Parts: sequence; C-alpha cells; structure tokens
Amino acid sequence: MTVVGRTWERLTIPGKILAVVIPLGAVLTAGLALLIALIGGAVVQFLVDNLPLVRFVVAATIVLLMTVPSAFLIIYMEMKVIALMNLRYGPDRVGPFGSALSVVHGLKVLMKEDFTPTSADVPVFTLAPVVVYMSSVMSLLVLPFAPGIFGQDFNIGLLYFFAMGGLTVVGLLMAGWSSFNKYSLLGGLRSAAQVVSYEIPLTLSVVGVVLLAGTLSINKIVLGQAGSVLDWYVLRQPLAFAIFFIAVTAEANRTPFDLTEADSEIVAGFATEYSGMRFGFFFFAEYVNVFIASGLTVALFMGGWNAPFNWPWPVTVGLDPGGLGIGLLFLLALGPPVVIIVLGLPFYLLNSQVKFWQALIIGFVLFNLLAVAAVLGLAFLSFDWVVGLLWFMGKTYVFVFTFVWMRGTLPRVRIDQLMGFAWKWLLPASLLNLFVTAGAILVVNK
Amino acid sequence: MSLIPGLGLVKGMALTLRRFFQPKVTHLWPEVPAEISPKFRGRLQLLYDEHGTLKCETCFQCAQACPIECIDMGGVDTKGRYAVHWGASETYGERREESALRRSGRTVPDVAYEHWSPIDLAPVDAILHDADHDPKRLLEILGATQAAYGYLPVAALKRISFGTGAWYAMVYGTATYYDHLRFEPPAAAAAATAPSSRGALEGDYLSGLDQAISGATKPAGRVH
Repeated sequence: MTVVGRTWERLTIPGKILAVVIPLGAVLTAGLALLIALIGGAVVQFLVDNLPLVRFVVAATIVLLMTVPSAFLIIYMEMKVIALMNLRYGPDRVGPFGSALSVVHGLKVLMKEDFTPTSADVPVFTLAPVVVYMSSVMSLLVLPFAPGIFGQDFNIGLLYFFAMGGLTVVGLLMAGWSSFNKYSLLGGLRSAAQVVSYEIPLTLSVVGVVLLAGTLSINKIVLGQAGSVLDWYVLRQPLAFAIFFIAVTAEANRTPFDLTEADSEIVAGFATEYSGMRFGFFFFAEYVNVFIASGLTVALFMGGWNAPFNWPWPVTVGLDPGGLGIGLLFLLALGPPVVIIVLGLPFYLLNSQVKFWQALIIGFVLFNLLAVAAVLGLAFLSFDWVVGLLWFMGKTYVFVFTFVWMRGTLPRVRIDQLMGFAWKWLLPASLLNLFVTAGAILVVNK
Repeated sequence: MSLIPGLGLVKGMALTLRRFFQPKVTHLWPEVPAEISPKFRGRLQLLYDEHGTLKCETCFQCAQACPIECIDMGGVDTKGRYAVHWGASETYGERREESALRRSGRTVPDVAYEHWSPIDLAPVDAILHDADHDPKRLLEILGATQAAYGYLPVAALKRISFGTGAWYAMVYGTATYYDHLRFEPPAAAAAATAPSSRGALEGDYLSGLDQAISGATKPAGRVH
C-alpha cells in the first residue's frame, strides 16, 4: 500500500469529503477565474449590447420561478381557508400549520406515472400542459409588481396580457383533442366555449379603464391611480369592476364557474387522460391563473402598488454606510459579538438556571432577529419598491382570499346559466359601461 | 328571490366568513384523547391461557357487575360444561339478529342456545306457575326443575330467569352454589369431568365455534 493510500485510510469520513471537495473547489474556482479573464469582457459587452434581451430572459426566468411558490401558497390557502370555513382544521400535519402540504402534493404528483393513452396524439398531448402553463407565465411578464419591478413595460401591455390569456384556450383544446377520449374532447370544447364567451365582457369591461387612463400599458394605468384610494379606478368604474371580477373568475375557472373541471360532477374535463406532472401543470396553471387574475384586478382597479392613502412620512431615507469610513469596519467586526453578549447577559444574570453558553445562544438568536428586522426596515425605508411590493402583494392576496372564499361559499352554476349570463347580461352591461364612459369623457373634455 | 339582487350572495359569503372564525369541531385525535363516557369499559374480550384454553371460569361476576347488563354468556366453561360465548355481540354473526332485537327492546329468542338439545318447557312453566313466578323462591323452583328433568338444562334455567325476572347470573349462581343441583345428566357428568376427555371436548367445541363464527355451519363437535 502506498503512502497516499495509507493516508487516505486514516482519514475520517468528513476528512475524506473535505479532501475531495477542497481541491475540486480550488480547481473549479481557478477555472472560472481563468474563463472570466479570457472571455468575460466579450460576454459582458454582448450582454450590454443586448440589454432588452437580457432583461427579458431574466424576467421570464424570475417569473417562471416565482409561479411555483405562489401556486404552492395559493393551494395551501385554498385547503386551509375552505377547511376553516367548513369548521375543520384542514392541513396541520406537514410543516408549521400544515403549510408544507402543498409541497408534498407537488412531490407526489412528480412521483406519479406519466401516462400517455394509446393512440393519443403524442406531440400535441405532451405540449398541451406546456402551452397552458406558458400562457399563464407569459401574461405575468407585463404585470407591474412595484415601481420598476415588472418584466416588460409594453405600450400594448393589456392587449398582450389578454392575448396570452386567450392562448389558454388553445392549450385546453389541444389537451381535449389529443387525448383520444370523447369525454376529454367534450370537456375541452366546453371549457373553450366558457373561456371564449367570458373573454368578450372581460376585454370590453377593461376598455373603460383604458379610456380613462389613455394607455394600454398596465404600468402606466397603475401610475394613473397614484394618490389616495379616491383615485383608484374602482370608484370611477364600479360596473366595469363588477363585470371584470365576474368574468375573470370565469376565465380562471374558479367557482362558481368551474365547470371546466367540476371535480365533483365530471371526471376532470379536458384533463381526464392526464396524470403525473402533466396534470400537475394544468393544476398549477389554474392556481397561477388565480394569482394573475387577482394581480390584474389589483393593477387595473385597486391602484396596483399604490398605498390607499398618502404616505404621511417620507419613505426614502438616504442611508450611506460607506460614509463611516474605517468606523464601518470596526462596527462590522465588533458590533455582532458586543450585541450578542449585551442581549444574552440579562438572561445569564437574572436566571440562575441558564448557563453562560445558553445565554450566548439566546443572545445570538435575538441578535439575528434584530439584524433581519433592521435589514428589512432599512430596505423598507431605502427602496420605495419594497413598500410597493408589500402593498401589491397584500391587495393581491386579499383577492386570492376572496376567490377561495367564493369557492367555499357558492354553488356551481349550470352550463346554460353560465353562457346565458355571459351573453345576455355581462356583454350588454360592459357595452353600456363602455358607451357611458366614452360619453362622459367627451362631455368632460369639451 | 329577494328584492335586492345579490343579497343572497352577500348573505352566503357572510355566513362562510363567520364560520371561518368560529371554533372548529374536528377532534384532534390522537393528540387530544377522546372524551368517553365514564360508563364505557372498552371492548369485551375473552383471554386465553398458554394452552389455548379460555381463562374464563364462567363465574358470572362480570355479568353481575356490568352496569348496563350488556354481558350475557353461555357455552362451555373450563370444566367443559358450558360454551362461553361473548364479546361485542355485533362481532358474532350468529348473534347479530339477536343483538338487533335486544336493542329494539323486544323479547329475544336466544339463538345461542339452540344447539343444546331442545327440551319441553311445559314442566318448567308448570313449576313457575306453582311457585308464583317468585324470584325469592328460586331454590324451590330449581329443585323442582331438577326433579322434573333429572338435571338443570340451560334452556330451563333461561326459562326460569325469563319467568321470574331474576338475572340469569342469579339463577346460575344459585344453581352452582348448591351441591345437590347439577347441570348434566348423572351418567354424562362422570364422562365430562374425566381428565382424558376434557381437552378433546374443548377442542371440538372451539373448532366448532370457529366454524360457526366464520361460516354459517353449526358446530359439529360433541357439544352438550
């Protein structure tokens, strides 16, 4: 046995791991540094030259990644809130208050067999969930979350949004047609009929807002509602808001318009033949659609990321830590230990049961809590988009809650009631709203 | 339909929102132990010793103590005399109808004793009539019954219990207390107590009982 072999034998398991990982890390770091030194400048130049492209790719990636946790959150909310409304406790086993149950659901869906029926149209069958999910994610790109936080500020943002939302129908029809199952086909046709019918009042109800704002860019529509709650379009367009909310409920296939996959009555509509993660994509897209519907309602009618009142104190505080000079270094080096000891010492002095190292741990935890709070507070004060994001998310989740609340309350409508309501009531009402708004604008501007 | 459109919607939504904040009714078992009635004694179960023999001595103390008189027994005891047959009556197919009848409050024909040799109950009825159906004259009745049949058949004991209103446990306890009262015909008593035949008797009976529980067939063993 060689010297190297004997030395290797004597190492403990962590030692063996470190002995592999540290040289590997060194080699990789060196390689990365070399790569950056050689072609880094060219890459950066290329990225700078194509900044819109980079922005698009980054925004699409972030939006795609954002949909998964928000869908998990909404699925959990739905389970928990409906349970509480049914006087049950709902999920309470996995994670704190059962909050990890939707993640477990996701893992379960991942582990299931991905089944394709015989004589299904395989490419179409495979692409349908992707189309449905992508249409949701793509429409998120133009949703403004906070000042400066949006994928793209299109001047035709709203049009793009509805175009992408309409792409869902294509996905549903693809799923229904390619499954080679007459029930799937019927379900697909039925959901296509529903979504197409409600697309019309949905779009027409928004035209009033567009007329008021004078732009199709969702970001500019939100900016037009700056000020207090009195400037929100919900007060100027209440009828449009009502129509929009009903139509967007139907668009997102939520109760009471969830005939598309009325799980207690029909098998699963267009998704009958889907299993595993392909079904998971449909399922996820539904909940992403809930988020999108809420977010769009907030952006168009509820002031988006604007606070409902004029902020009484200046939000932005110019903090410049660099101004401390060498003091900053001392602060960073000495601050944490001193604060930990100062926070932990009272526990050691006042309680004889607590040992000193336990007091230090308590101090460490308290210090971390304080540090996180301080960083969040600094972000809150320094960047106005943090406040905007909080307002936007707060309002959006109020609407998500409303959707869930409606699901916990309302019974499902019949298909003839569904179609009749769209064509006989919502469409005339939205047309009326449009003409009245246009006339009012003419009168006011004259 | 209400005068204000949408009022029903608002009412429904308000109802669910109230429910949202109300205390929940789910019982968080097993974290929170179930609240059971103080009278509840759990599931009735007979224990077997290491030889696979029933530990029950048919002493009827449990039947005496049972506050709701749900324990009833019959069958072969450890001396090979009576088939002990009890438990949650619902778990025994042959006693299901009886259990339902009993719960309904009607008089229950005791199916469990049908495999005993059916006897003519007219003498017992006559004795009961003579004794004025008086439970305080139980010893007298039992003596007369033994004189009529030569021993005390279970069906006769049941009849006495039914006729006098005394618990079967009382009747059985009285009958076992006195030496001159016996439960077998005098010739069969010697065979039943013989040590060589005891195990076989019980084995036959238990296998027959198993068949009776699992299938519909009556026990085929040598049963008194």
